[in-house]
Amino acid sequence: MTYTVVGKPLGQVEGPAKVTGAATFTADVILPEMIWGKVLRSPLPHARIVSIDTKAAEQMPGVLAVLTARDLPDTLTGRVVYDTPVLARDQVRFIGEKVAVVAAEDPDVAEDALALIEVEYQELPAVFDAEEAMKPDAPLLHPDYRSYPHAPEKFFSELPNVHSHVTWQVGDIEEGFAQAQQVFEYTFTTHSQHQGFIEPHASVVSVDSEGRAHLWISNKMPVRAQKLLADAVELPQEQVVVHPVCIGGDFGGKGSLMDAPLCYHLSKRTGRPVKMVMTYTEELMAGNPRHPATISLRTGVTDQGKVVAFQARVVFDSGAYAGFKPVPIVNIPGANSAAGVYGTPHVKIDAYSVYTNCVPSGHVRAPGDPQVTFAVESSMELIAEAMGIDPLEFRKRNLVQDGDLLPDGHRLEHVRIRQTLEAAIESSNWGKPKAHPHVGRGVAASYRHIGAGEANAEIRLESDGTVKVITPVPDTGTGAHTVLQQVVAETWPLPVEQVQVEARPELFETDSGAGASRVTYVVGQLVKEMTEELRASVCRVAATALECQAEEVVFEDGHCTVKGSSDRTLTLAQVAEAGSGKPELSIRKTQVNRDNPQVTTFTAQVVELEVDPETGQIKILEVVTSHDVGTIINPIGHRGQIDGGLVQGIGFGMIEEVVMEEGQVSTLHLGDYKLPNIKDIPPLKTVLVQEEIGPAPFQSKAIGESSITPIAAAIANAVYDAVGVRFYNLPITAEKVYRALRERDSNGE
Amino acid sequence: MHNFEYREPDTLEEVLALLGELGEEAKIVAGGTALVIMLNQRLLVPSHLISLRKLRDIDQIESSDGTLQLGALATLRAVETSPLVKEQSPVLAETYAQVATLRIRNMATVGGSLAHADPNQDPPVTLMALDARVGLASANGSREVALDEFFIDYYETVVRPDELVTRVMVPRAAPHTGSAYLKFLPRTSEDYATVGVAARVSLEPDSGVCQDCRLVLGGVGATPLRARDAEDLLKGQKSTPELLEAVAAAARQLTDPVGDSRGSAQYKRAMTGVFVGRAIDQAWERALA
Amino acid sequence: MASEKTMTRTIRLRVNGKEHSLDVPSRRLLVDCLRYDLGLTGTKEGCSVGVCGACTVLMDGQPISSCLALAVFADGKEIVTVEGIAREGKLDRVQQSFIDHGGFQCGSCTPGMVVTARALLDANPNPSQDEIKEWMLGNLCRCTGYYQIIESIQGAAGEASDA
Repeated sequence: MTYTVVGKPLGQVEGPAKVTGAATFTADVILPEMIWGKVLRSPLPHARIVSIDTKAAEQMPGVLAVLTARDLPDTLTGRVVYDTPVLARDQVRFIGEKVAVVAAEDPDVAEDALALIEVEYQELPAVFDAEEAMKPDAPLLHPDYRSYPHAPEKFFSELPNVHSHVTWQVGDIEEGFAQAQQVFEYTFTTHSQHQGFIEPHASVVSVDSEGRAHLWISNKMPVRAQKLLADAVELPQEQVVVHPVCIGGDFGGKGSLMDAPLCYHLSKRTGRPVKMVMTYTEELMAGNPRHPATISLRTGVTDQGKVVAFQARVVFDSGAYAGFKPVPIVNIPGANSAAGVYGTPHVKIDAYSVYTNCVPSGHVRAPGDPQVTFAVESSMELIAEAMGIDPLEFRKRNLVQDGDLLPDGHRLEHVRIRQTLEAAIESSNWGKPKAHPHVGRGVAASYRHIGAGEANAEIRLESDGTVKVITPVPDTGTGAHTVLQQVVAETWPLPVEQVQVEARPELFETDSGAGASRVTYVVGQLVKEMTEELRASVCRVAATALECQAEEVVFEDGHCTVKGSSDRTLTLAQVAEAGSGKPELSIRKTQVNRDNPQVTTFTAQVVELEVDPETGQIKILEVVTSHDVGTIINPIGHRGQIDGGLVQGIGFGMIEEVVMEEGQVSTLHLGDYKLPNIKDIPPLKTVLVQEEIGPAPFQSKAIGESSITPIAAAIANAVYDAVGVRFYNLPITAEKVYRALRERDSNGE
Repeated sequence: MHNFEYREPDTLEEVLALLGELGEEAKIVAGGTALVIMLNQRLLVPSHLISLRKLRDIDQIESSDGTLQLGALATLRAVETSPLVKEQSPVLAETYAQVATLRIRNMATVGGSLAHADPNQDPPVTLMALDARVGLASANGSREVALDEFFIDYYETVVRPDELVTRVMVPRAAPHTGSAYLKFLPRTSEDYATVGVAARVSLEPDSGVCQDCRLVLGGVGATPLRARDAEDLLKGQKSTPELLEAVAAAARQLTDPVGDSRGSAQYKRAMTGVFVGRAIDQAWERALA
Repeated sequence: MASEKTMTRTIRLRVNGKEHSLDVPSRRLLVDCLRYDLGLTGTKEGCSVGVCGACTVLMDGQPISSCLALAVFADGKEIVTVEGIAREGKLDRVQQSFIDHGGFQCGSCTPGMVVTARALLDANPNPSQDEIKEWMLGNLCRCTGYYQIIESIQGAAGEASDA
């Protein structure tokens, strides 16, 4: 189907602001009399705080306040479970935990003052590994975790340091293994990855004369941030006013308060607006990186190559706190895709989220998915090889189909994994002769549900005849506002220039915000409906002004016109004038989509690479990424999500690692934690398997968290194809390949 | 960072006088790309910064009698793009081009890079393989030091507290000489080298035998390492796989790498051997061309 | 004797064509001077170690990391920030091309990208893809995966800028 505006490669509505530097990010907010906060962090992974002496710091010229936990209410904070202190009260649980905060006239002075704060610690036994933390003699990091507000009661566990244990099941796992003739077990481990956004977290709080906290924060669900801040600092929610800002990249990592409560307390104490901007070192030691995971898979297969039973034990290292997890289960739901793109009839997945004295983990694009996909897509290859079946054929024998029940509880419709996989294979060099030795090809596939959540919006006719959408969802870079603009323009229909989108989080009380591949679907759907309602309402107002019945008015060519009487017509600006002050010209609505749609999106990727056997270095020769898509509302934005996710996935698979030893992060700046650059990108072929089927407006789907997921597995499979070494952990670095090759050669294989 | 007095003398004489006066209380700054990071992290807390940024007489790139003269304040970018350097010592231009990013090279200077003595850098490795010499000046006079006697340890050189690097001299290569600098980057294409190797071979035109050579290893010790034992194995010989194996082994022996995010010590040692072979091959090819 | 006074310098610099005279602490970074002393918040600070390129400005026409430059380094210099790329409210070809080709998403790296790309096309109006990659190597983007950035720069190449 052809559309007027949908499907057009329109530049972002924020474009001119972003390319001229006019777009305001949190760190750009400058208020009169603004001062700066800096935080002192714990050098120890687990210790009791014996004493803190702030006198010398307080007396430094230019310092306006020094706060420790004793100056603050005894509150805990978090995105769901409130287990995280604003400042450490009696103990610290990870290297980097916040212990004291200073406000000063400039950030250098604040930093000078930090050096004068004396903290006495008494070290406690620490645990740095999730499996170790689950053992009976492990130190208990949160003995009272069951009493934390919003702790996930249904998922408590008797195991030490496990704050959430979730099980997903299909069928009967015992029955499944009874049917299996062969059973295969493999264990995989994955590491910590930082979101790598270019904008570090920042917040500004200004407490006004009425005690209201004005908040600017790099957070993609600002309405939730309003509530969280209110709870954290013991204010009524209405006393927190959230001001809109551009967010410099989220990738799942910008949903918490970070330093906002500290900004609040400092502002309240000093009477000045306070800004705190995290350094990238602080991001790498105390941001909320991807959960490291250990994934043990047990797969039961019939002799005919049919997978009948699949069991996964996934252990996530939550680090010292669970407060960065935004889902009520306080676990990583992505674990439920551990069974992969297969319609296995008997599945049991157990996911444990475990406290350790490491950096607290959070959400990173497609949380849980790249970890478990690396495991299951490697496992399928290992099993295929052991059974002497071609790995592609083995996958095809087991692909999920329409009507199959997935472990996440969805029974799928319009399943197109077969087509997506075949498209990837056909577009690649699969099966063709290889130009050089040590060239390998690997395939992997994954799926991603379309997000659910609460959407809120207001849509109104402005006095100048433009239509304005007001949303609590900020711009994080995904082009969401542009998509909404296109949805409204297409639906009405109006020229795109006549539709504006504005983020106004302070006008809403609850909202899910951005993320989880939900906005086009959840917000887009709502806004589309509201567009039709507003247009009808506008025509009714026009009818009154034109002195006719509502049914006689049509919207055509930008005008409300009486049918058959082209001279009785009004422009939208005229309708706005006629209806000035009338509530009918503004609609506000909420919609809660509790469930993900039954339609998922599938991704299949083929990686072709070459290994230098002398050094182990991997050079990716080509990536083919194949996506099953519906209507594409904005091709520029859609492609951007695929491209960006893919490169982030290559980072996860081969390059990036937040390296921690005994709880100490050693990759403390972007010279050590390397992000892929413009020369690192491989030749990329994108294949869109398109069908106009999708639950989101105009039959569209989601795309934001797709391409990042299977690529690590595809790389691992390609490396195996190239040089015969199999990796059970990530990232796959040159050194690891080199060592594996030396070991293989010395074993005479 | 802490605060300090910033002095910006107009002449070299004034700089040297100030250096003499302030000694270790002061730090010299030219491009600032390394120093500012260290100041930000409070690894250095000098009471004074003496800036070289207003000096005009030590930033030239010239040739005299075939010797390339790089003024200490020439930026890395100036060396990278200099037609003179590309003509007289292409390997030097290639090496400077691989340092960090364009932005760093637009500010960082030849002299600053040497004085900073970060053993993970690229230029010192190639410069040493080219028999570079360093000109130093103080209020009391001037002297020259061969680059392979210039570095003592991490961030430590023979430069005295009252001295300044003023220029670097690179002698003209003998005929039938080829040089190569290989920077091993297994992670991303912008990084410090996991290992860096510079090789220079001069061939006897009739026999094709190696008459003279230099082999310098970067990123695998407290300073760039001149692999003399390995060089001796090559001299008077033709290149064969077996010989290169022996040369690589001798080079590896010399290394004392530190493991970091770019590789473990063992990996860096092993890669030294690999890249010694590859750098010699490339240098040899260039010598024949 | 070191004092507030001796540790403050007066600098004169031209930023986006406008002359400024400022008293700054010696330790003031150029990025902070531009953002807070001059209110030009277009230039961003990302990594603080000169790696990401978000803080890129032109100093005498050359891209530099303003997070690694002291403000005093800019004395007597001509600085161009992202705010100086558009002329009289009209977007430069590079800026328009970034919009048209999806050369940004969140916009954090964009000021640095635009300034660096503008300098590239001034030095080399018709760069090859490899030349684009070499020049832009030090500008990191986490959102786009770079493919559309390359196309944005190619889209702006080939003709003199509108300035």
